Amino acid sequence: MNSTVTGAVAIYLAQVRAELSDLPSGELEDVLEDVSGHLTEVAAEFEAEPTTEALQERLGTPREYAAELRTAAGYPPRTQPVADRDAARKALRWGLVAATAGPFLVAIGIFYWSHDETVFFGVLGFAVLFLAAYLGVRALRDNDPRIVLEDPRGRRGAEAVRGLVDQIPPNVRSELVTIGQPVWWVARGAIGGGGFFALFGAGAVAVVGAVAGAAVSIWIGRRTQQDRRWLWYVVPLNIVAAVAVPAFLSAAYMGASFGFLNDYGDYSSSSSYTPDGLVLNGTPVSNIYPFDAQGKQVSVRLYDQEGNPIALRLEDCEASYGRTDRDSTSNVVPHRVITGDESGNFGEEPNCRDTDKAPFVPPPAPATATPAPTPTGTPSASASSTPTGTTPTPTPAPGTTPRPAVTLTVQPTR
Amino acid sequence: MDTSQLLKGVLDLAVLAVLRDGDGYGYDVLRRLRQAGLEDVADASVYGTLRRLFQAGALTSYVQPSEEGPHRKYYGLNKTGRDLLAQSTKTWNHFADTMSVLLVEKEAA
Repeated sequence: MNSTVTGAVAIYLAQVRAELSDLPSGELEDVLEDVSGHLTEVAAEFEAEPTTEALQERLGTPREYAAELRTAAGYPPRTQPVADRDAARKALRWGLVAATAGPFLVAIGIFYWSHDETVFFGVLGFAVLFLAAYLGVRALRDNDPRIVLEDPRGRRGAEAVRGLVDQIPPNVRSELVTIGQPVWWVARGAIGGGGFFALFGAGAVAVVGAVAGAAVSIWIGRRTQQDRRWLWYVVPLNIVAAVAVPAFLSAAYMGASFGFLNDYGDYSSSSSYTPDGLVLNGTPVSNIYPFDAQGKQVSVRLYDQEGNPIALRLEDCEASYGRTDRDSTSNVVPHRVITGDESGNFGEEPNCRDTDKAPFVPPPAPATATPAPTPTGTPSASASSTPTGTTPTPTPAPGTTPRPAVTLTVQPTR
Repeated sequence: MDTSQLLKGVLDLAVLAVLRDGDGYGYDVLRRLRQAGLEDVADASVYGTLRRLFQAGALTSYVQPSEEGPHRKYYGLNKTGRDLLAQSTKTWNHFADTMSVLLVEKEAA
């Protein structure tokens, strides 16, 4: 009966309901059923649908109507102040912001490919969610959270939800509550707690986080049943979980990589990041030009102390424009690299040119080919005969002199 | 003299009397009271009275579909209600007689 009223009648009815909201809920529904019928009949007295003013002229203000009803029915006088309609409206509005904008941003974060955006949108989304929820609860002030149901908009929403719930067969409904609710509490908590730690790169404690999250989730669920103000936080968080839980499950099942599930060890955000490949003093080595003792460039195969090939990425014409079926790396050096023409232009396929000729001239080979562990000063005859007292400068022999500052690191090339 | 003040005291009796003639929903009860001459009766107080009598166990209540649209909640007298009506009628008649005598004597004096 109540669901059929519209317009001014619905507003008037909602205001009467607010005035009588201190009644026991059963009696409240019964009396409002009568009032709804009354208002419908009164509205039918008018030729067109009555305005709020017309109704008030005929029946008095909703407050007067409710007071008259209360006296005649012998209901106890109202003790608590009538629900602050402004508070209800504001609390409802902030609740809606928390339940829409927050989860929307978090959802963007979840489905984003990269870690940085996931964190950005995730943090932003949760910040919006919690801020709006906080403002919603604050807008309630000391009112009962149920006052939002007295707001016309809140009432319509509640009726819509109730209509949907009524579609579910009663036996399924009770099973959903007894079995579905605890399962949902655990699932949302586990994925929320685990996801939080996984997001910040602490994959190892994600399992602990999942267990802790499930425990917190159950506690929150029980708290919310006692204090309905928690709903301002719990409903938006449930919406987030409703997106995250299926996303997580499908990702885990299909092995798809959503942003928040990626292996963050691969990302440069980690402080211990080291690039793949061969590195000399922190700089990637892209090619190696071996020269023999006579200063002649030679081709060699490189292996490390374990016998693993030291393979470098191929960057010749074939790699850039041609075949893709061969290995992308090779330990035979020097590699051919693409070279520019006289004017410095790099030719496009098929004019691409590459060469394995060193782009530099190696310093002259040392006088002796004997590998000497210590630098050998070779004082020249002119130095000893010069009476100026100049200390003969030892000339380090390139290639044979260890340079302690140099570190050569090899990462397995993928 | 404002009859609405008088009505407050006897609205229970008036509603019970109207329902003795047949079950009725709120608006129907209101209309019958008005037709009987109680134009000053306030809408909300009739609905409140129906609730109070129902709570006191004097009325039965049931919902019936109507041709025009929404279901209507009907109220009717039960045994308690009929007893209450009989008792209240006696009280009223005694009171009315007393008042009449009082007023007649005053005028005569």
